[in-house]
Amino acid sequence: MPSPLIEVRDLDKRFDRTLALHGVEATIDRGEIVVLLGLSGSGKSTLLRHLDGLETPTSGSVRVLGEEVPRLRGRRLRALRGRVGFVFQQFELVPSLTVLENVLTGSLARLRGPRLGLWSYPKRLKLAALGHLDRVGLLDRAYQRADTLSGGQQQRVAIARALMQEPEILLADEPVASLDPESSEQVMALIREIAMDAGLTVVCSLHQVDLALAWGDRIVGLRGGRLVLDTPTEGLGKAEVMEIYGRVATATAELEAIETELADASAEARPDRAEPLAEGAGR
Amino acid sequence: MTALASTAGASASGSVAERAPAHRRSPERIAAALTLVALVVASLFALNSLGISLPSMLESWSNAERFFTRVGTIRFPEPLELVQLTALTLGIVVTGTLFAAICSVPIAYLAASNTTPGPGWRAAARFITVFTRALPDVVLAMVFVLLFSLGSLPGILAIGIHSIGMISKLFADAIEQIDEGPRRAIRAAGGSKLQEFTSGILPQVLPSWVATVLHRNDINLRGSVVLGYVGVAGLGLEMSHAFKSLNYSLGLGIAIVMFALCVLMELISSAVRRAMLHGGRASGGPLAATTAEAAVRRPWTGARVRTTVWGWVTAALLIGAIAVCNIQWGDLVTVWAKIPPVAAQFWPPSFGAYDWTRMSGAMLETIAIALAAAVLTLLASIVIGSLAARNVAPNRGTRAGARFLLVGIRGVPEVILAIVLIVITGLGAQAGTLALAFGGIGLAGKLIADSLEEVKGGPERAITATGASRFQRYAAATLPQGAPAIIGHSFYLLDTNIRAATILGIVGGGGIGYYLLNAGQGSNYGVVTAIVLMILVTVLAVEGLAMWMRRVFR
Ligand SMILES: Nc1ncnc2c1ncn2[C@@H]1O[C@H](COP(=O)(O)OP(=O)(O)OP(=O)(O)O)[C@@H](O)[C@H]1O
Ligand SMILES: [Mg+2]
Repeated sequence: MPSPLIEVRDLDKRFDRTLALHGVEATIDRGEIVVLLGLSGSGKSTLLRHLDGLETPTSGSVRVLGEEVPRLRGRRLRALRGRVGFVFQQFELVPSLTVLENVLTGSLARLRGPRLGLWSYPKRLKLAALGHLDRVGLLDRAYQRADTLSGGQQQRVAIARALMQEPEILLADEPVASLDPESSEQVMALIREIAMDAGLTVVCSLHQVDLALAWGDRIVGLRGGRLVLDTPTEGLGKAEVMEIYGRVATATAELEAIETELADASAEARPDRAEPLAEGAGR
Repeated sequence: MTALASTAGASASGSVAERAPAHRRSPERIAAALTLVALVVASLFALNSLGISLPSMLESWSNAERFFTRVGTIRFPEPLELVQLTALTLGIVVTGTLFAAICSVPIAYLAASNTTPGPGWRAAARFITVFTRALPDVVLAMVFVLLFSLGSLPGILAIGIHSIGMISKLFADAIEQIDEGPRRAIRAAGGSKLQEFTSGILPQVLPSWVATVLHRNDINLRGSVVLGYVGVAGLGLEMSHAFKSLNYSLGLGIAIVMFALCVLMELISSAVRRAMLHGGRASGGPLAATTAEAAVRRPWTGARVRTTVWGWVTAALLIGAIAVCNIQWGDLVTVWAKIPPVAAQFWPPSFGAYDWTRMSGAMLETIAIALAAAVLTLLASIVIGSLAARNVAPNRGTRAGARFLLVGIRGVPEVILAIVLIVITGLGAQAGTLALAFGGIGLAGKLIADSLEEVKGGPERAITATGASRFQRYAAATLPQGAPAIIGHSFYLLDTNIRAATILGIVGGGGIGYYLLNAGQGSNYGVVTAIVLMILVTVLAVEGLAMWMRRVFR
């Protein structure tokens, strides 16, 4: 049996006082389309970032594509990141660059040295980038500035940037949380389509149970940093999912209280979080 | 992976390229880019025409050695005199800056787009801002020395009026950046315009305002040396006397004192700025009192004691600064009678004994010095500034080292550097350019570092997540986001360089400043006016260009 693409063992992550992840275990095989489900602050983003080496575990093991991620440094870490695409909730395009150049930045891991300006990328890559833009339906926007696009379009550009890496795994952190329902549907459908075509392994965090059920093959549920659910979606109903959530909480009232509290806390935590991430990402 | 690559390949790569739209750029952007290129080319020509090259620098180095053997030991003024001169210099600078800060509050209020009562007011305030900034403080000092003859008032007013330009501009920028919410809430609660200002705006802008004033104070201290050359009392005057009487050992001694003073002031103001940033967040912990009556008295927590003590110390220092100046307040009344005859001497503008080609040549040389220095400064400060940015520096040590270097460079007043270079090497325009280029690195490097640190972190993280290296991330995400700010800083640099190049001419650094000083000392005030007009036109042109660039490359 081939070893799994992603293997997380007994993962703990502590930020100062909060235990963001606690004893998380998960195994994901090639070609699986997995949804990470959980309330705000349950640790979804933190877990995803561990998979791309953007965060270092407090303890435990994270194996991705056969590599022990926390051990990787420098060139080898970058090589791994190049094989894993990451789509962010806020798209994170460079606003002043063209759409095409933003997509091209996805190829940096395979290039040597810094690049600035379209002319600094080889033609072969430009053609590939245009191909990916075509794939996400934005070929006609190639030379617009990224910040002139709508949110949904920007997210599609971000997906094209991830495709540019020719990744084996695609991680997506609430890719549609800042989009309207229609663009959300488009973007989610696009991710699934691309994943099926290319045989990609996808781990995508989401808030909404309905969407998760309709979209994923498998649901992994987090609560307060613990894994509380790991099941195929086939034949699973919303009520069942909610029930599983209910069983781990002592009472529904408590569940609701925690829900609002976590939502508030994570909304507050957001601004200060930018810094440590940038630091962590810098290595 | 393979499947994906084939999807991209299969969609007939040629056809994708054909279907892609043409890469269009707006004509205005092209024009702006061409202007930038032209400026760079002009700067390179300027570098060449000023004869700045390694051999010439090495040659001047041997001059320097000869010079030092001639000077012998460096001397300082008598201790008591030294203390008095230092106190007077600091007093004049601080009082002048304070004066500017106070005047700038209403001007900034009128100039900021979100507080101005109307477009007419705004235009008037902007005019004052631009005009006071464009008027060199040396010229102001020249005029005020005529009006007041002796004492500290000429220096205070020259520094004060000239500083209004920069301070009120930055004050207005800070007002424009506030969060409108609190202000709207106060208005909704029935507050007056003044209340809106004091409770809604002032608390938000105060830290940035204080930082601006401290920053300007540093600049003014550095600039105060030149004011001595046109007769403003203090260390600068003593130094100019010493150099004029060829007493180099004393002149260099005063220069060293001035340098130490500048570094000290820079360190103090950056410490104050840092303390303000961190101290502002101290909340003081929960209140022990249980009833409202008991809670009326705010407890004397450590934070409160500190704030109060520092508040009083600051007030005492400011009062001390004013007291040291020994201002003849009566002069402020009697001066009005003297204005008409003095003003008459300055009009009409004329070139006197000089002709137009000579003067325009001198102005061009000033511009060349400014351009050449700007390009040298930028080359150095992009490197140092990037290394000083948290998100670019490879490690903490590099960042700390680069920041330290920038502070050190900022401490060296370029005028002192120029004077010393000129005295030592006798190079004129070359010494001026080098001094200006070196002095600019301190500020430009810091501004660049700060702008790079302010870019959005998200795109950088996204690029890191693709597996890019640190250097690739810098080029792909950090630099493009920081570029508009860097272009803005470049024009700011050019702008200050043209003013500074004028001033350097006064101490012998080449260009129009030499004629300015000559005209002033020979009482040819019509020539002074003509030169000032030329400077104003140049400065305003650069400023207009800068505004255009900032708009196009936002
Ligand atoms: N850099 C950090 N420093 C301190 N605490 C952090 C940091 N990053 C995350 N946390 C904390 O870890 C917990 C999990 O955060 P995480 O962002 O992974 O949640 P999430 O499930 O992605 O939430 P959301 O749905 O709001 O995005 C939260 O309590 C959060 O406050
Ligand atoms: Mg999240």
